[in-house]
Amino acid sequence: MASEHIVKSYDEELRKLSNTITEMGGLAESQLAAAIDAVVKRDSELAAVVVEADAKVDQLQQDLDNLAVRLLALRQPMARDLREVFAALKIGSDLERICDYAANVAKRSIALNQTPPVRPVYALPRMAHLAELLVKDVIDAYVARDADKAYAVWTRDAELDEMYSSLFRELLTYMMEDPRNISACTHLLFMAKNIERIGDHATNIAEDLYYLVHGTRIAEARPKGDQSSLEIVTPNRRT
Amino acid sequence: MSPPQAAARLAMPLAPSDPDVRDPELLPRQKAVIRNVDFFYDSFRALKNISLPLHDKRVTAFIGPSGCGKSTLLRILNRIYELYPGQRATGEVLVDGENILAPGRDLNLLRAKIGMVFQKPTPFPMSIYDNIAFGIRLYERLTRSELDDRIEAALRRAALWDEVKDKLRQSGLGLSGGQQQRLCIARAVAVEPEILLLDEPASALDPLSTQRIEELIAELKDDYCIAIVTHNMQQAARSSDYTAFMYLGELIEFDETERIFTHPKQKQTEDYITGRFG
Repeated sequence: MASEHIVKSYDEELRKLSNTITEMGGLAESQLAAAIDAVVKRDSELAAVVVEADAKVDQLQQDLDNLAVRLLALRQPMARDLREVFAALKIGSDLERICDYAANVAKRSIALNQTPPVRPVYALPRMAHLAELLVKDVIDAYVARDADKAYAVWTRDAELDEMYSSLFRELLTYMMEDPRNISACTHLLFMAKNIERIGDHATNIAEDLYYLVHGTRIAEARPKGDQSSLEIVTPNRRT
Repeated sequence: MSPPQAAARLAMPLAPSDPDVRDPELLPRQKAVIRNVDFFYDSFRALKNISLPLHDKRVTAFIGPSGCGKSTLLRILNRIYELYPGQRATGEVLVDGENILAPGRDLNLLRAKIGMVFQKPTPFPMSIYDNIAFGIRLYERLTRSELDDRIEAALRRAALWDEVKDKLRQSGLGLSGGQQQRLCIARAVAVEPEILLLDEPASALDPLSTQRIEELIAELKDDYCIAIVTHNMQQAARSSDYTAFMYLGELIEFDETERIFTHPKQKQTEDYITGRFG
């Protein structure tokens, strides 16, 4: 970043803010990875660990918010410094939601493990891996304060949305074929939706990072690939 | 509408709203234009090729480190530098299209039209009433009741009337710092100026008085073009519509205040306002 403040403690506080985001980002990645691992391996114990670990992220977000408010009150940040604090508040909130979704996936897998495995579950790790990459790349972009990298992440959410739409159709079809699948498929549907939302939040982070660096917003409309809200699947014919 | 058509409709972006496109009718008018101005203290070139507008019914703040030339620039606007030998300005300052630096202008009339308030309050050693009447009497012949009305209007304008209306015959020197400064502002507005120049008007005052002055500036800008020099960046951020950042006699950046303090164009500007200047 640019040169340092004349008052060094100001720099230290901004660094602390930034490091908290990085720590939350690392947790988001590891929580999501562990949650999917728990699903694939049908490991309810691992799932429980993920659920419990979410409390740590919530605490980090509170610390972040307190530090940001303190900075605003005591330092009256301007220009780039102000955008750093503003972005940290928003990104912290998005990361906390990402971790919530990862914990939800883990929690649902415990219920899923009570039923026999169903075929569509194998699509979930593919979606999750895509989401993991989005989170990892956007956090890397944040650490480097790289707006171009942020923009690249921003364009990739559509692919995750499309995978979700496709899984949505598959799950509906599976449920119609055999009502005994409904329980498992409904859980899977929620889990897939959670992962799709993780992608949306990663995209939010990309937008806020772009604003942090440039002071203006991305001018284009966000690419959207989720058609599921318009989706109808009828028994004899797919739409 | 079939689902694919509905999907296509939702996917279309909304028409982008462009905040930079403004109705020309609503743009503020330029009251004064500073054009290619240099300033010399003897042979030392203190201002280098300054050009910028001052908008009517708006506040323009000048910020920058000590010695950057902001007060010097202010003093060109009412030619008060001409009280001192060895100081001269080149270039143009157009007020309503006329160059006020041109020779042959009545300087007293100019300084009524373009009023100045200084950092240290400068009440005359007279009664509060006479402090304000003094300037009016220089330019106009008014009856006693007309004068009374003008003085009351000026004191009301400066948010001082309620505090002094029962002691107009008392000396202006007996007022507090904040009140004295408002008296100086009343004195300046009494002669019906068009432009007000405020050179660090609140830096000698306590925080409460400072806020009162800022509130006063917010009210005054409805009627005047105001230029304010301040070393208090938060004050510039709070009170002004436009901000000019100066450094070592040069204008580094001029823009809307909101832009300067959220994402300025020049790195030097950002370094200064974020406290990275070293």
